[in-house]
Amino acid sequence: MWNNKKPVKTFLLIISTTIFSNLSFADMSVIVHPDNTSTFNPEIIKKIFLGKKDKFTNGQVAIPMNAAESLPSFDAFNDKMIGKSRTQINAYWARLVFTGKADMPKVLPSDSDIISTVSVNQGAISYVDSSSVTDKVKVVANF
Amino acid sequence: MKNLTTLSIVSLVALISTPTIAEVKFSGFGSIVAGQTLEDDEKLTADFYDVGQYENTTTFKAESVLGLQVSADIAPDLKATGQLLAKGTDEFKPELDWYYLTYNASDNWTLMAGRRNIPMYYYSEFSEVGYAYPWIRPPSNLYWWQVTQFDGFHATYDFSTDDFTNTVTAFYGNEYSTDNKEMLYYAEIGNRTLNGAAITQVNEQWTDIAGFNVNIIGESFDLRMVYFRNDRKRIDTNVNGETAIRASASGFSQQFIGIGGNVNVSDFTIIFDANYVAYDDDVGTVFPTYLISAVYNIDQFQPYVSYSKADHWQTKSDNEDDYEEHYMASAGLRYNLSSKASAKIQFDHFEDEGAGGPEAWAYHGNSQTVSAAVDFIF
Repeated sequence: MWNNKKPVKTFLLIISTTIFSNLSFADMSVIVHPDNTSTFNPEIIKKIFLGKKDKFTNGQVAIPMNAAESLPSFDAFNDKMIGKSRTQINAYWARLVFTGKADMPKVLPSDSDIISTVSVNQGAISYVDSSSVTDKVKVVANF
Repeated sequence: MKNLTTLSIVSLVALISTPTIAEVKFSGFGSIVAGQTLEDDEKLTADFYDVGQYENTTTFKAESVLGLQVSADIAPDLKATGQLLAKGTDEFKPELDWYYLTYNASDNWTLMAGRRNIPMYYYSEFSEVGYAYPWIRPPSNLYWWQVTQFDGFHATYDFSTDDFTNTVTAFYGNEYSTDNKEMLYYAEIGNRTLNGAAITQVNEQWTDIAGFNVNIIGESFDLRMVYFRNDRKRIDTNVNGETAIRASASGFSQQFIGIGGNVNVSDFTIIFDANYVAYDDDVGTVFPTYLISAVYNIDQFQPYVSYSKADHWQTKSDNEDDYEEHYMASAGLRYNLSSKASAKIQFDHFEDEGAGGPEAWAYHGNSQTVSAAVDFIF
């Protein structure tokens, strides 16, 4: 009787793990131009988006582009990749921008704008919902 | 006149929108701040440089400020930036406070030339941008200098190590402050005279300002060190137009040393800044100052407390310690209204521990002040 229940529990556990992992990561993708052969890891991506690193490992000038605040990818990216809230990010940039130390990343209004901009710009790096990714861009991280 | 204005606006817009002209960016910040002291005879100087003060009636003028920044890429790797500032203490008359060129000389080197704030205290370069820090203002009894800006040059070297992002900046410049607002205020409240006639203008000169900043940013902390030196000179003008160099405030140099930063420990941010200013005058004047503040980050709320202390000694006098001395103890709350605006409320207790009472070194006076602000960026 007791043993009979075990497979059901395991099954439920597998189901729920699958659901939650789909919700919590691999939803969004960091994308670059297909010809960009640089090395990427979460630390490099974070530094580029915080204005602490202005070049890719291939020497190309990096142009980070943010999704509009209205897109779900914006909060997901800042939360999971940068580790800061919207307010913390904006306070961080307010200091840099108004002391002339760095320019705030450009903002693009939609996933399709992001895909089309990144696909024609060798230095661009941005992020979109993974379902929006096309073969015109290269995925370098998922979150 | 109206046509001329319209014409210049049209040509300005045409210039900006001409596709061949490089990108022009507009951004800005602002703070609408209201406050008052709790008792009739109390006064708090919330902005020493521009003499922004709270008394026992509510005012918006002491600290409210609007800033507009325009920057344009004018050549490859060369950018021009201007910052127009309108402050309540100046009847919101806009002034071009910052104007400078930025040249990205190489991957690691950035050169700047023009008018900027002197990077003295941790918050000196962005003390007007209320959105960028938790309090209503960086503690005013530390940010008390009559000179905050200068014309000069900056050379910055950036480099990263595995765990840290580092910046070293060397700077040099001069400031000839004509009709200095803070110094005239002190001349007026002290009934200061020259040749028996009231002083109506004070010019303050800080020359050969030379020094450096070192910034180290890690995963959970930000550390900054500063050193600079400059020569000092003060010139009084009286109501009859006679001028004279004020000997007690001229002919010596000063050195400024500071270490500050912030550390994040779980949901808390600890902010600190310790500074030491020394004159090479006959009496050995020094000003030790420090700030310590704790901020609790809970969702969109940031309750905070801070304590800032300023002292004044004459290390070569028989009487070393009995001069200016005061502390400010503050508590407040920041609430983020949106990702671009925050609301704050703050209580400040200013304790004047200066020697010899109000007629001598305790000329600021004790006060308790409540202020509320909305800060924003765009």
